[in-house]
Amino acid sequence: MKHLFAKLYVWLLLAILYAPILIIIIFSFTEARVLGNWTGFSTKLYQSLFSGGVNNSLFVTLLNTFAIAFIAASASAVLGSLAAIGIFNLRRKTRNTVLFLNNIPILNPEIITGVSLFLLFVSLGISQGFMTVVLAHISFCVPYVVLSVLPRLKQMNPSLYEAALDLGATPMQALRKVIFPEIKPGIISGFILTFTLSFDDFVVSLFTIGNEGLQTLSTYIYADARKGGLTPELRPLTSLIFIVVLVLLFIVNQRAKKSAVHEK
Amino acid sequence: MKNKSFFRFWALAVFVLLGLMSCHFHSDKRLSTLKIYNWGDYIDESVLEDFKVWYKEQTGEDLRIVYQVFDINEIMLTKIARGKEDFDLVCPSDYIIERMMKKDLLLPIERHFGDSTDYTRNIAPYITHELSKLDYQGRKTSDYAVPYMWGTTGILYNRKFVPEGDVRSWACLWNPKYKGKILMKDSYRDVYGTCIIYANRDRLARGEVSVDELMNDYSQATIDTVEVYMKAMKPLLAGWEADFGKEMMTKSKLYLNMTWSGDAEWAIQEAGAIGTELAYAIPEEGSTVWYDCWAIPKYAKNVKAASYFINYMCRPDIAIRNMEEIGYVSAVSSPEIMEYVQDSTLSGFSDVSYFFGEAGKSLKVRHTMYPDKRFIEKCAMERDFGDATEAVLDMWSNVKGDNLNPGILIFIFVCFSALFVLGLYSKYKKRRRQRSIRLLKSRRKRA
Amino acid sequence: MKKRQFGRFGVQKNWTIPYAVFLLVFVITPLILIAIYAFTDADGQFSLANFQKFIHHGETVNTFVYSIGIALITTLVCLIIGYPVAWILSQNIFSSTSVIVMLFILPMWINTLIRTLATVALFDFLQLPLGEGALIFGLVYNFLPFMIYPIYNVLNKTDHSLTEAAQDLGACPLKVFTRVTLPLSMPGVTSGILMVFMPTVSTFAIAELLTLNNIKLLGTTVQENINNGMWNYGAAISLVMLLLIGVSSLFTDDKSGEEGGLL
Repeated sequence: MKHLFAKLYVWLLLAILYAPILIIIIFSFTEARVLGNWTGFSTKLYQSLFSGGVNNSLFVTLLNTFAIAFIAASASAVLGSLAAIGIFNLRRKTRNTVLFLNNIPILNPEIITGVSLFLLFVSLGISQGFMTVVLAHISFCVPYVVLSVLPRLKQMNPSLYEAALDLGATPMQALRKVIFPEIKPGIISGFILTFTLSFDDFVVSLFTIGNEGLQTLSTYIYADARKGGLTPELRPLTSLIFIVVLVLLFIVNQRAKKSAVHEK
Repeated sequence: MKNKSFFRFWALAVFVLLGLMSCHFHSDKRLSTLKIYNWGDYIDESVLEDFKVWYKEQTGEDLRIVYQVFDINEIMLTKIARGKEDFDLVCPSDYIIERMMKKDLLLPIERHFGDSTDYTRNIAPYITHELSKLDYQGRKTSDYAVPYMWGTTGILYNRKFVPEGDVRSWACLWNPKYKGKILMKDSYRDVYGTCIIYANRDRLARGEVSVDELMNDYSQATIDTVEVYMKAMKPLLAGWEADFGKEMMTKSKLYLNMTWSGDAEWAIQEAGAIGTELAYAIPEEGSTVWYDCWAIPKYAKNVKAASYFINYMCRPDIAIRNMEEIGYVSAVSSPEIMEYVQDSTLSGFSDVSYFFGEAGKSLKVRHTMYPDKRFIEKCAMERDFGDATEAVLDMWSNVKGDNLNPGILIFIFVCFSALFVLGLYSKYKKRRRQRSIRLLKSRRKRA
Repeated sequence: MKKRQFGRFGVQKNWTIPYAVFLLVFVITPLILIAIYAFTDADGQFSLANFQKFIHHGETVNTFVYSIGIALITTLVCLIIGYPVAWILSQNIFSSTSVIVMLFILPMWINTLIRTLATVALFDFLQLPLGEGALIFGLVYNFLPFMIYPIYNVLNKTDHSLTEAAQDLGACPLKVFTRVTLPLSMPGVTSGILMVFMPTVSTFAIAELLTLNNIKLLGTTVQENINNGMWNYGAAISLVMLLLIGVSSLFTDDKSGEEGGLL
């Protein structure tokens, strides 16, 4: 009985939490311009989302967003894993300093990150656009990669590396053959994490996007929302993003479980 | 050197990334680019594509168009004045043109179009005459700005919930009957004009003062009057809109929206399609009439293409396409336009002779687009506030941003005192525990 | 096992350098720039005018206090709703708790704007008016996962034998909760409070969309000023915001230390 109430509470909350998203998903299967009107089942919105044509700008926006997220996540993965290996080898005091600095972008409210980077680009006289958005995204993405790679290094059996050296491997070889495979899962989950972070980012993008007409999905939605509503085509898009995120999170979760089993 | 390959991997990755990034960097393309900064929803965007083709025909040059939108005049102005952003073409309202001319932020428009026709001659003489009031120190407005669209400020209302009699006066915006159903244009100037007209409704009715005089009075006493009226209005408002008013009204979520005639026209058409009956009225007390113009800012890089674009916008067929798309009324008054805007299904005739000349004496046109002469005579252009701008803006943001209520203040106070008490309590407990530990230790020692 | 020595990998220590440089350029310098802009006027001269304006400008102070109030309300509501969820989840009464936990975290990975627009859609759908109530609902809706997750994390890691021991020693459930569970979960609560409070103060899009521009939060003011070209004033407000957040995080950190010390 006690459990029943507890369960009911949790399910009720989940229902409220997902109600808005469900509404959007349900109404993505009808054509009505105004959300809340049901004019019969139709997949027309899904078709027009992918047909380009009228919604060309939305499609270009999506491509931009993907490109930015991909570049930012890749660059962060490279820079972050290099940094993680470096930080791992630092002396405790320096290590803690670097880790403290590493935490700043994570703890900073987005708007502060956005404003500060905006001021940086403005005072350096860099015209803002694709490049600045990518750099800004890298700046808040790398810390997450560092944090997901570091534990892997800590878990690693240190004698493995030494054994490789003893068997005649050069430090670089040992790094590639021994360390890299060990931290690879960390890099991959860091990549996925930063990809979604960059993909979803709104505030930092808004401040660094400049006036060259570049739009990311978030700024597009924002401009759209300020006009009073969701472009109908954004409903199927939201539904798709939701499902992709669901799948991605599931994959990450499975990976984590598997590796946990693996370690046991 | 076997470990080279590892480095090569990283290096390759980095270079690929850098290469990808640099693809988006082309500074030399700027001279064949036209950067337009326009109001949102203020052009038929397919016209942009057609302009590129036309431009190529006229000059033989290729053109790339960067098209950006703003929804508040002042944001555009600060981007140019403070940010020195290099837009080639902007579309500000009359008073911003006035301010930009005073601050020397505009370049004169070149009207030498080679072999192509000068369409800017199609502009209504009425508007050119009105705008000549802004001439400043020998600079003629017509040299710096070419009118694009014009309109009035009035009330868009839902006929199902608001009787026509109510919108004959601005009083409806202060009517508690419509609490939470009124949407206000997020524009301090229009609100200022409305408040000051309504505040002086009796004097206006007696003919002691004209709308023109009222609207251009920025003395502190007037600002205070406006503040009183704004404060009275604020609790009744559902919100402030820069662009979403038409959407909200179309969905009949709100009943009254003080807005611009073109937005109103757009909403009326859109709402008609889904069976909502909206209408637009200019209250009898009088209102604002405004003109948006194309102008070339000081930091423009492509004056030639900008001038050609302005010219293209004045071509009657292009003007009609834009009107069709956005619902605002073009400043072009050529016979083609007069032909286009007449609608024989309408019942009454309007006197639009002020705009189309004698031929427009009695036309069947939508009064949302072309108000009857009788209304236009009661409207006036609101000039730039000049030095009073800051005082007006201070008053405006003070009234608008005032959301604090005693409930929240008390809540904050309670929260902080609770935290304080909690902190003290845990400190007290800690000390007591330490003391008991010390006691315990000393007892043990003794034992 | 012998103690791990850092620096064993030799040269790889230097691999921190690119990132350190990057941090310096893209994290430290920009933050310093905020301070520089805050203390200069439009011509780059040192001035305190921005802060004077902040204090004398009724509107900004009004917004500042109001934002704190709204953030406190949101945090409290999140705590009241979220704590029981975290506690229930930590009790393992569901057949697969991890899935439920994931369902609660999932919204964190969806764009804030989309979620906010979904909230607007919900209010639309239910024909409820937008305004202060909608704003608080939207904020809670957006930031609730940030409250649940840290508390759940802490509760899940605590040793169940502690509560069992308390029960065995005859404590009533309420006492077990107030004396054992609650103090143990305090670190989670404080980090949850921080994770909700901070973004609430600095948010702007949510407030705009859910109140039809009627209500401004501190984030809105910052964004407006930067957007309108008043960089120095915008930077000054950002600095005030940064201070507020710094102070509140110090405050909670201190508290969590104390509470942790209670045991």
